Amino acid sequence: MDQPSSFEDQLAALLPRLRRFAHALSRNSADADDLTQATIERGLKSRAQWQPGTRLDSWCYRIMRNLWIDTARAQSRKSAREAPEEEGLNVGEDPRGMDAAIDLKRIMAAMSRLPEEQREVVALILIEGFGYREVSEMLGLPIGTVSSRLVRGRTALLAIVGER
Amino acid sequence: MTEDEKFFAWLDGELEPADAARMEAKVASDPELARLAEQHHLLGEQLRGAFDPIAAEPIPARLRAAIHPSVDVIDFAAAKRSRTMRSLPQWTALAATLAVGIAVGTMVPQRSSGPVQVEGGTMYAAASLNRALDTQLASAPTGDVRIGLTFRDHAGNVCRSFTAPASSGLACRNGGRWRLKGLFAAPEGQAGDYRMAAGMDPNLAALVGSTMANEPFDSNQERAAKRRGWQ
Repeated sequence: MDQPSSFEDQLAALLPRLRRFAHALSRNSADADDLTQATIERGLKSRAQWQPGTRLDSWCYRIMRNLWIDTARAQSRKSAREAPEEEGLNVGEDPRGMDAAIDLKRIMAAMSRLPEEQREVVALILIEGFGYREVSEMLGLPIGTVSSRLVRGRTALLAIVGER
Repeated sequence: MTEDEKFFAWLDGELEPADAARMEAKVASDPELARLAEQHHLLGEQLRGAFDPIAAEPIPARLRAAIHPSVDVIDFAAAKRSRTMRSLPQWTALAATLAVGIAVGTMVPQRSSGPVQVEGGTMYAAASLNRALDTQLASAPTGDVRIGLTFRDHAGNVCRSFTAPASSGLACRNGGRWRLKGLFAAPEGQAGDYRMAAGMDPNLAALVGSTMANEPFDSNQERAAKRRGWQ
């Protein structure tokens, strides 16, 4: 049992965190699991591109974020024609229990009002606990850009949460 | 870095010690900044408090299945598409079932406390295996037996695949009991290694593929089926 675990096992161990990040990006449970599944599939297909010894979590988060950007772009074109953005907030019948579901719904609603580029940085650093440098490498952005997006994102979020 | 950015970097523990000490002194002497620091600290806690429960939830079955596409996606899809075309592994599975059935039938006394009971030439789950099939959810493995997929067969009976230390198999509800449809010995040298659960015995995969009517249950459907007593 001392041998290093397989790629699949390591990926499976990341699923709880990847799902959490997916919820922060998509703000909708069904979309979040679709996104997580797409990330698993892409990760398995691209496994040869992951370099052992580097962090698998950062690699998977990047895949998820890039997939989400593609999805979000397609969706925003669609939703601009069809439906108001608020519809994405419905968490429906939530197995997490009332209070937790309400907290999550309120925070997700607040997150929804941030631009994508700020939301992802807020999620990666404040929720997922990555460092500035890790996020800058993950997203391929200068660290100064990460830092300034984080300032704007969390400042806006505080204002929204404090509104009521 | 602007002064604003420095303040937040300090809050996130991202400043070098010297810079951090300077910022700390500045915040300590400025009530306005101290209040802002407190508000943002709380915001961080709120965010984590809202999202962390997601990471504590059981992983939905379809996501676990996506990790092992060779078994859960490709094989079953293919098995369903070619159901009319009896493939070789299915016959192998039946042969293996018979072989194990005979072995178990002769080796296991009729009134045994083992995991398999034979009655009138039919194998039923007993003891620890029966308990696992009755009570365990795929998302919450405990004990020696791990549950894989739960689904309905073409007759509408609930079936569950399982992996035990030295074998894996498929059981379906029959007269209020778990009737074993197939039981496969783990390949030599793999007994006790649960990685077989991930890889699923190809014979078992073929049997599951030919038995399953629709999609495997997700974690909610699995829980609901358990509440209904696997009806």
